[in-house]
Amino acid sequence: MPNQLLFTRVLNHAFAGPVDKLLAAVHVTPAYAQAPITNPVAMELLVFALLIAYFLIVRASLSVETPNGVQHLAEMTHEFISEQGESIIGHGYEKFTGFVTALGLFILLCNLVGLVPGLESPTAAISVPLGLALVTFFYYQYQGIKANGAGYIKQFLGPVWWLSPLLFIIEIISHVARVLSLSVRLYGNMFAGDLLTLVFFSLIPVGIPLIFLGLHLGVAVIQAYVFVLLTMVYLSLAVSHDH
Amino acid sequence: MRKLQYIFMAMAAMLITAPAFGQAAGGENQWVPLAAGLSMALAAGLCGLGQGKATASATEALARNPGARPGIFIFLILGLAFIESLALFTFAIIFAKVR
Repeated sequence: MPNQLLFTRVLNHAFAGPVDKLLAAVHVTPAYAQAPITNPVAMELLVFALLIAYFLIVRASLSVETPNGVQHLAEMTHEFISEQGESIIGHGYEKFTGFVTALGLFILLCNLVGLVPGLESPTAAISVPLGLALVTFFYYQYQGIKANGAGYIKQFLGPVWWLSPLLFIIEIISHVARVLSLSVRLYGNMFAGDLLTLVFFSLIPVGIPLIFLGLHLGVAVIQAYVFVLLTMVYLSLAVSHDH
Repeated sequence: MRKLQYIFMAMAAMLITAPAFGQAAGGENQWVPLAAGLSMALAAGLCGLGQGKATASATEALARNPGARPGIFIFLILGLAFIESLALFTFAIIFAKVR
């Protein structure tokens, strides 16, 4: 049996049977039939539940006359994302704020949940950042095609026609490399942060590792911000018309 | 000139002796920790140099023109993220290869 967190164990106890059946339907055999839900998936579900609860609370307690603390927090988030979007994407950024806000909050909470004892960051496993990067990739390609139509292909072909076969291949590689760099950056930072804290705990068990936990807190916030920023940059490149 | 000659001769001697050492011990994985540490040190050091240059220019620009703070901040964070990801690629490769 793999090493399971408490939350994972509870989930596996309740849902192991149905999840096994679901996985068998798509021809996937889990490594342990007793525990098909791994730690990152369980943590993602926890973050998902927390975010849904947060959004429900915000929606239920919206008020114009007496805004409460939760509403202020939501408004601050929205203002922050809108400000960044306006300065990076420029005109027409409004339709992307929903996706970018959801992505940013999810990554931020995923990163921060690792600081709670007994829980771990789902983003410290490579599959979760890869999934986020793939979602971002398909989203900005879709938005690019939607904004530019068939002319979107021109972004891949470069300025002169006789160089376009070469540039097409290079552009495809560079777009795929964005997925790689987005996922490896988030994964590497979170994983290295966890590993660093662990190493210093094994060297000096008292006091000093707290500094590295503080550093990890900063890294978690910065990496969520960087992911959001890069998503916006890619979106702005995809929907730009001046090519 | 003479000094350079000595240095290159010493380096050549080291290059010749390195495989000999490897064969004497017989273990094929004994250099792995050394290689991992050295490559991480190289990556971290050069990444630090790059990030230092980027931050230095950003602070200089900020001192000259404090009004341009938001734009500079975004580009600084982006640049630092890109530079840092190079060191993280090294880290990921080391982690994938050293098991």
